Amino acid sequence: MNKDLNMKVNVLPVLTYNFLRLNDSTILASDIRIDSFESPKLNVVPAGVTVESSVDFEKAGEVFRAYKERIQVTTGVPGDPNGDTSYRDKDQVLRTGMGIDVDEFMTEVSAKADIYTVDEGVKVSEPLVLHYDLKDGDGNVSAQVIHAKKNSEITLIMDYNSDKDASGFLGISTRILAEEGAKVNIVKSQLLGNGFLHFDDMGGACFEKGAINVIAVELGAYKAWNGCYINLSEKEADFNSNIAYLSRDDHELDINYVADHRGKKTNALMQFKGVLMGEAKKTLRFTIDFKNGSSGSAGDEQEDTLLLSDNVVNRTMPVILCQEEDVDGRHGATIGQLGEDLLFYMQTRGIDEEEAKRIMIKARLESVARMIPDPELMQKVIYFIQGIV
Amino acid sequence: MSEQSLLQVKNLSVSIDNELPILNNINLDIKPGETHVLMGPNGAGKSTLGFTLMGNSHYCVTEGNILFEGQDITTASADKRAKAGMFLSFQNPYEVPGISLSSFIRNAYHAQTGAPVKLMAFQKSLKAAMEILSMDESYADRDLNVGFSGGEKKKAEILQLLMLNPKFAILDETDSGLDVDAVRTVSKGIEEYQKKKDGALLIITHSTKILESLHVDYTHVLVKGNIVHTGDGTLVDEINANGFERFL
Amino acid sequence: MSENKQVVNEIDHSMYDFKDVENEQDFYRLKEGLSKETVLKVSEEKNDPDWMRDFRLKCLDIYNEIKMPDWGPSIEGLDMDRISSYVRHKSDMKGKWEDVPEDIKNTFERLGIPQAERESLAGVGAQYDSELVYHNVKDEVAAQGVIYTDLESALRSEYADMIKEHFMKLVPPTDHKFAALHGAVWSGGSFVYVPKGVKVEIPLQSYFRLNAAGAGQFEHTLIIVDEGADLHFIEGCSAPKYNVANLHAGCVELFVGKNARLRYSTIENWSKNMYNLNTKRAVVEENGIMEWVSGSFGSHTSYLYPMTILKGDNSKMEFTGITFAGKGQNLDTGAKVVHQGKKTSSVISTKSISKDGGIGTYRSSVVIQNSAKKAKASVSCDSLMLDSISRADTIPAMDIRTNDADVGHEAKIGRISDEAVFYLMSRGISEEDAKAMIVSGFANPVSKELPLEYAVEMNNLIKLEMSGH
Repeated sequence: MNKDLNMKVNVLPVLTYNFLRLNDSTILASDIRIDSFESPKLNVVPAGVTVESSVDFEKAGEVFRAYKERIQVTTGVPGDPNGDTSYRDKDQVLRTGMGIDVDEFMTEVSAKADIYTVDEGVKVSEPLVLHYDLKDGDGNVSAQVIHAKKNSEITLIMDYNSDKDASGFLGISTRILAEEGAKVNIVKSQLLGNGFLHFDDMGGACFEKGAINVIAVELGAYKAWNGCYINLSEKEADFNSNIAYLSRDDHELDINYVADHRGKKTNALMQFKGVLMGEAKKTLRFTIDFKNGSSGSAGDEQEDTLLLSDNVVNRTMPVILCQEEDVDGRHGATIGQLGEDLLFYMQTRGIDEEEAKRIMIKARLESVARMIPDPELMQKVIYFIQGIV
Repeated sequence: MSEQSLLQVKNLSVSIDNELPILNNINLDIKPGETHVLMGPNGAGKSTLGFTLMGNSHYCVTEGNILFEGQDITTASADKRAKAGMFLSFQNPYEVPGISLSSFIRNAYHAQTGAPVKLMAFQKSLKAAMEILSMDESYADRDLNVGFSGGEKKKAEILQLLMLNPKFAILDETDSGLDVDAVRTVSKGIEEYQKKKDGALLIITHSTKILESLHVDYTHVLVKGNIVHTGDGTLVDEINANGFERFL
Repeated sequence: MSENKQVVNEIDHSMYDFKDVENEQDFYRLKEGLSKETVLKVSEEKNDPDWMRDFRLKCLDIYNEIKMPDWGPSIEGLDMDRISSYVRHKSDMKGKWEDVPEDIKNTFERLGIPQAERESLAGVGAQYDSELVYHNVKDEVAAQGVIYTDLESALRSEYADMIKEHFMKLVPPTDHKFAALHGAVWSGGSFVYVPKGVKVEIPLQSYFRLNAAGAGQFEHTLIIVDEGADLHFIEGCSAPKYNVANLHAGCVELFVGKNARLRYSTIENWSKNMYNLNTKRAVVEENGIMEWVSGSFGSHTSYLYPMTILKGDNSKMEFTGITFAGKGQNLDTGAKVVHQGKKTSSVISTKSISKDGGIGTYRSSVVIQNSAKKAKASVSCDSLMLDSISRADTIPAMDIRTNDADVGHEAKIGRISDEAVFYLMSRGISEEDAKAMIVSGFANPVSKELPLEYAVEMNNLIKLEMSGH
């Protein structure tokens, strides 16, 4: 199948000045070859986990449809933020970071979803690993649904890789439900070749004391879109994310993360560490949304970006929305090149500027890479980083 | 002892969020001019008593009453208690950006007395009080407690004690975290307050440093939310020598 | 305490919200609505030069083409067919206070305007509805060559070319719909020129009063501070409350020359039926300094983001702002900055307070162009939520196109802590006063940037808002 892509994605939860052209992003591409609609299959399925393979995308959303009201629980206190865009994705069974165009695309191309259901109370210690070993010219569109029942725990690792110079297309939708006390760890490692077009959309919901934990390294592909929208629907739900990215040459990276606090005492941390080189362009939107009723909640969004070339474009929208008194929301960003003090310090220790830069790039990216709970993949990522620097 | 009581605490029990009580059946009777010391190991509930007497709504009185000058103030808000003549020196005074120490004291003085504050006279007495406490004058214009060291914060609390001149003051761990010189200075401030004949004190402490130069009438020992022993000023010395062990 | 309360009550009842007794026959009022005829009528009233008349008509066309903004607060309640774009008293502008018509004079005296002039200002302009009713500059300031006059007179003076060269060049009518509207029907406002090297020691002030119901005010302020000169300009705004919507779509264009400094302070207290769609912009040349101090308390709906273009190398801007969104208010405010020159620096520091269902939005953009080597930008915004029916949103954007820049950004949202309130209450301060005190303290970094009497006014406004009147 060859497809033209024209999708409006990563829409900011609230619009801002149009002149900035930051309100959304468009995926525009023609004649994209797609030859696979399936997720890679597991060799071994651990006890307590059920895999339902090759389910129609629409049908795979059943579990979210059933819980939609519970996920999007509201106190009914009126008052939308200025420039609110939530109406746009209201028909999604589960809101995702990239939004409804991804769902429609998945349905249109008849992409299949694999549903991983973790039984109540089952804690799976070994991570499930999906290897997307892609070759030059490959095109894959596939979806996953993870349904972690009460007090269960699961780790899903998704390894996207190809040869360094390979071209192709990879479009992913991952949707997650963490029921009461359940914990879902999602690890995404993107080491695609320089000719890849890639999007990776995530949506999730946590019930009481449920947790979603995202670790992602975005290192390859010439154009990549990431979205993640987590509903912290009930008391003490938790969202923790650590993302490292590196964008170089003329690559473009566009990210939209949202933590939607609805339950009391919910917690979100979004931490991005990035390096931009060459003529790379990066746009990062992240939003903490304290809905009315989320009292006692805390949200933190942090960005640390290292700009290593004078021709990069670095755009950031750190949004905090708040309709609740007793919350703690914060944002912090440090953007710039290596500090002269640090360089000088390193030089006094005999490290020259180039070496110092290499050390700092590695330090940033590897701090996230080392969180990958699969030693082999972690090594691969670290080698990939070393290969670039 | 026909003298009227200033503060009476009757069968007071206190808890937070309806959980187990932190204070049990506390009784105290403090008369004008008296200095009481409340001692006890860490976690005994000493600060809870201070906060409860001052009316912090976080602490819930489940039983008993607090009377000040014969009036039941058990449910009165903190500002009402302050206006009645009570004062609490905080262990960890809050930082309030944007309001200077001097304008804050002026505001508080005005709130309590309702009388207009005569600026010249006020500044004069503030300066005198700061001298007693060896505080640099510049602190008057700094934001309340913001960036103050531990010692400076405690001095600022005692400064407020001297300026507001309450009938009864609770000093919560005023000596904690202070070096020898600072303790001496703070004690000097407290002595200054004692000199005012009717001023009564409840000094909460788990050490005895601050008490060395002060006259003490009664000493209460609080352990696990109960007052287990009450004695006179000499009890301080005994605890100083032997610790709390015999009360545990 | 009783003293404070009295002050609050005084302001509440007399300071801003009184309606002046107007004798309608004394006023000329243009029919509501916007058309070519209305625009021509305004132009005729103003005795415009030809270029200005043509410019107005061009702006009207642009206005009709541009869409309403889709990102900010709703402006559905604003119906241009019910807004009169021009209202003036039938007397001319006066240079002597005694000559100002009695009813208007009363209004401004109650607002303390001539008094402030006597005490601490170098010059005062007072606009009532669409026209300036009073303009005066102290002799010694005029002797330094400082021009402070209404824009209309300036258009007919030796400064006509200077105005033509600058008028709506910084804020072109294509910028947004209400900039175009402004261009079409602008009236009143001030022109200030500070010659090379002249330092005006005390501030100039313009006061804007929109008194007519269902009217719009479209004053244009054009300030040129020449090389090495220095000026502090203050504007104040107020209006009585009506049940119909009023519109303020003013425009401020500021030109800060090489080594010059301009401080522009605003205390905005429009009534709560006002749509405040104001555009302010400054361009700063080499080594120049632009300082904004902005307090937004009034209006039903506000769009206000003073913008600074740091064009010259080493130019600087500082923005200090506070917004207090109370009941029924949707105040969308912030700042924009574009770094073009080398070693330019910007500091944006804002505070926002939301209460009683008010919506306070901090919105900003920091753009660092590739040419702005060694630029520094820092943004910090703090929001305070006073209850759970209000909103405090923070929507900042950063667009950085050189690696040789140093950018820091911080935002915090929080509430008044119970501990702080208890601490103050333990000193005898009532809960309401304790909260007002903490909010004033929160606002202090802004009020300390204002001249004393404005700082006092701002604190009174905070107390007023806190007491919920």
